[in-house]
Amino acid sequence: MEELLTRNFCIIAHVDHGKTTLSDRLLEYTNTISKRVLTEQHLDSMDLEKERGITIKSHPVTMTYRAKDGRDYKLNLMDTPGHVDFSYEVSRSLAACEGVLLLIDAAQGVEAQTVANAHLAFGQKLKVIPVINKIDLPSANLELCIRQLEDILTIPGEEAILASGKSGIGIVDILEAVVARIPSPRWRDYPQARILVFDSLYDAYRGCIAYVRVFSGSIKANEMMMLMSTGQRAEVKEVGVFTPKMEKCGILEAGDVGYIVSTIKTPSEVKTGDTITISARPATEMLPGYKEVHPMVFCGLYPLESDDYEKLKAGLGRLQLNDAAFVYSSESSLALGFGFRCGFLGLLHMEIIQERIRREHDVEIISTYPSVIYHILKQGGELLEVDNPVNMPDPGTITEIREPTINASIILPNDSMGDILSLIMEKRGVCDHTDTLDMNRVMLRCQLPLNEILVDFNDRLKSITHGYGSMDYELGEYRVSDLVKMDILINGDPVDAFACIVHREKADGRGRDLCERLAKIIPPQMFKVAIQAAIGGKVIARDNVREMRKDVTAKCYGGDISRKRKLLDKQKEGKKKMKLIGKVSIPPDAFIKVLRND
Amino acid sequence: MSEIKVLPKGASKHVSLGVYVHVPFCAKTCDYCAFYQVSPTVPMLRQYLDGVSAEAGMVEWIRPVDTVFWGGGTPGLLSPGDLRKLGETVKANFGGVPTEWSVEMAPASVTEARLAVLRELGVTRISMGAQSFQPDLLAALGRPHTREQILRAYDRIRAAGFASVNIDMMFALPGQDEAAWLADVREAVSLAPDHISTYCLTFEEDTALWVKLSEGKVKLDPEREAQLYEKTWEELGAAGYAQYEISNFARPGHACLHNLNTWRMHEWIGLGPSAASQYAGWRGTNISDLAAWSEKLGRGERATEDRTALTPGLLLEDALVFGLRMNEGVDLTALRTNHPQAPWAAVDQLAERLAAEGLATLSEGRLALTLRGRLIADAIGTEIMSAMETDLPA
Ligand SMILES: Nc1nc2c(ncn2[C@@H]2O[C@H](COP(=O)(O)OP(=O)(O)O)[C@@H](O)[C@H]2O)c(=O)[nH]1
Ligand code: SF4
Ligand SMILES: [Mg+2]
Repeated sequence: MEELLTRNFCIIAHVDHGKTTLSDRLLEYTNTISKRVLTEQHLDSMDLEKERGITIKSHPVTMTYRAKDGRDYKLNLMDTPGHVDFSYEVSRSLAACEGVLLLIDAAQGVEAQTVANAHLAFGQKLKVIPVINKIDLPSANLELCIRQLEDILTIPGEEAILASGKSGIGIVDILEAVVARIPSPRWRDYPQARILVFDSLYDAYRGCIAYVRVFSGSIKANEMMMLMSTGQRAEVKEVGVFTPKMEKCGILEAGDVGYIVSTIKTPSEVKTGDTITISARPATEMLPGYKEVHPMVFCGLYPLESDDYEKLKAGLGRLQLNDAAFVYSSESSLALGFGFRCGFLGLLHMEIIQERIRREHDVEIISTYPSVIYHILKQGGELLEVDNPVNMPDPGTITEIREPTINASIILPNDSMGDILSLIMEKRGVCDHTDTLDMNRVMLRCQLPLNEILVDFNDRLKSITHGYGSMDYELGEYRVSDLVKMDILINGDPVDAFACIVHREKADGRGRDLCERLAKIIPPQMFKVAIQAAIGGKVIARDNVREMRKDVTAKCYGGDISRKRKLLDKQKEGKKKMKLIGKVSIPPDAFIKVLRND
Repeated sequence: MSEIKVLPKGASKHVSLGVYVHVPFCAKTCDYCAFYQVSPTVPMLRQYLDGVSAEAGMVEWIRPVDTVFWGGGTPGLLSPGDLRKLGETVKANFGGVPTEWSVEMAPASVTEARLAVLRELGVTRISMGAQSFQPDLLAALGRPHTREQILRAYDRIRAAGFASVNIDMMFALPGQDEAAWLADVREAVSLAPDHISTYCLTFEEDTALWVKLSEGKVKLDPEREAQLYEKTWEELGAAGYAQYEISNFARPGHACLHNLNTWRMHEWIGLGPSAASQYAGWRGTNISDLAAWSEKLGRGERATEDRTALTPGLLLEDALVFGLRMNEGVDLTALRTNHPQAPWAAVDQLAERLAAEGLATLSEGRLALTLRGRLIADAIGTEIMSAMETDLPA
């Protein structure tokens, strides 16, 4: 086959190593977007992304570049999400390419995500072009970066391009390397059309818009297409390319990156990683690497004001349209009222969704303690999946409980090693590998239970290492573990929002902590109120709510009676708004306060 | 023309009748004061005295008055002549000699001339607002009198020969520690009054003190207040003053009947701006404005706002809520007989729980709060109101 003058590539990097800035420089140099229009960090379009510097969605763009060989090349650049929660999305964007630019911040060197992303690229047999970025920084350490490239990533140091997205250094070198080193589009000789879906977007008018890379064959409007994972058929309404704004074109051909609008309205029907083929002459094998993504982390989300329930529901619905990995269903809690059980790919995904609900949909929410999916083997061999402690079967019927683990790589300064190792121990993890990265840093490889990193692991990692530590992980296997369901009881009645699944050894500590906090936050009560943590029927920790000491009006004569009544009436009505648990009236925000400082 | 209807027949047998006269004048506003009071001018005094006379004329006096209470403001601020005029006006309606007639006086206004007039009228009881004997605390409260004035006033009252004398004291004042308060209590006791009222400082909205509280210049401390309450009860009990209500203590035979009848949900007629009535099937409060009150009376109408009909349910609820403020508590058996329709199951359940938790005693159908219970009487009142709501017949 003749060589196509097309190159499909991604930029991968640890967060903040300059991916977005460099992308902008490439767009500017190739006149894809004029400098005037180029707002800073063009590709990250969502506010939240800009603020957090995290790209969630990939926004592809097609550039035209006249290379030194005099020929015009079509360069398709995919920006990828930069976080481990979205590693499947990253892997699908990578699958749409033949090569990647691997950015390394010259002042920071290799970080956890640099390694993880590089391994994803190697796994897909992509050409990796190392770029040492931000060389304008006075603290840049080129020698060290090059040594790390060789030692940690086994990439020959002489392949590295020195660049600065900020000062525009090395831009031409990069473009020339893309042309020269990245192979021309692969797998074009497959006999039928195979088109990879690497993302999709919901548009209120046009329904689902699939972002695609055509590997073989072609696709155009009015053809019937078929989604190979499900066999679902649909008529193609429009095809087009990214300039970077979507621009309709007549046909997408092998090697092209573009979009497809079809008669399919629901984005969840067009799954990232699926292969589209032409219904009349369908391919027999899908492109490799497709899998269904499943949420890994779950929590309950509740509106702070119960009046906001409908608003929250609408907001979740809209978010899900563009995020097939996010799932939700309604649930209700005695303590928190009506809300939703939500599933996320990971912690960051969870944070992002919560933040977007607050900001874009203007609903104040509270979330319950996050949970993972536990596999519960019951007597008689039945295997249950439980993502909500409330659904745990009776302990007497359980043979064993298995929990998901992760394989993590943690990069940290040498001097935090001791503290990090004890953090890992505390979180029930084990370390089986230590690599020296340079004079000051090491990389640990360890296994940890996923549920242990859900709450404060990353924050503590950052604080112990003064911000220098970084972590990346992939999901590991399920392992049998001594887990128990712990209930929190108020006067003997369980508070559903606080039920959790914990390791037996941690139950005491967590139980004591929760009891203490609830006892402190629940306002003083007239009657004695016990707060208990219990496993099965066994109480493992307890505390008492403070007793009400003084609530009496000094003066209460004939003239005060009407006023006094009004006051008591108001108190009585106030009590009705409280949650009644174990005969105790508890202000709704008491639970929220406890959940907040979790 | 009268708006007040005749009591249902038979009711008068068990129900005592009080008269409350509000005298809305003070020389100066105290920092904690939330009462309706103004500083008087001659035309205002005229307006007031005429108004009370007009108002009394509109009430249908159908049975003898048992108790009288003049409060304020500062009734003692009226001149001897005005006191006499006011006294004659209300007295004309008593239909007999009341068993108790109290008048509130501020130490600075206690003069022999005034006391003589009051004695002559038939006043039996003087209630003097001392609040504290300590100059710095009196100053902190914005009270316009001195320790010496209190002592002199007390001697004059005693010399005039009233049957009963009360001293009002206040605690939990900003800057007052336990020792300072107990010193005040002991000094009050050393005067040997017949009755002592001790009021925990209350922060009422629209008072100077409230402003200080919201500015963070003074702080609320319920724990400290609770401790002071307990100390007070202990100290006065030991000195021979039996507590009979949250803030009231008396030597045997000297409890204030007028107030007891209020807490027992009997009847009273209020005269004067901002005075409250509970009479002939309704409860209400007069307009808290001298001019508006007087103007309305001039048109031949009583100036009552906020009228509520006294349903049996409301009376029962209040008999419980306000009755429990008294050490004698409430007689559930008697109430049950009079109100068989009430949700007694819920009330009984609450009563038993209060008793089980040591907040009340329950014996022979009488429910009374313990010391711990009295300290949270308002919270218990709220519980009672909630209990009364359970399947309450409409
Ligand atoms: N000095 C210097 N700073 C850079 C360079 N490229 C990016 N930055 C800065 O590094 C930060 C992260 O850049 P960004 O492009 O958002 O990184 P991303 O998270 O990988 O997309 C921003 O504050 C940029 O201004 C560079 O070449 N030199
Ligand atoms: S004397 Fe009594 S009514 Fe007058 S201002 Fe002081 S507290 Fe208020
Ligand atoms: Mg970015």
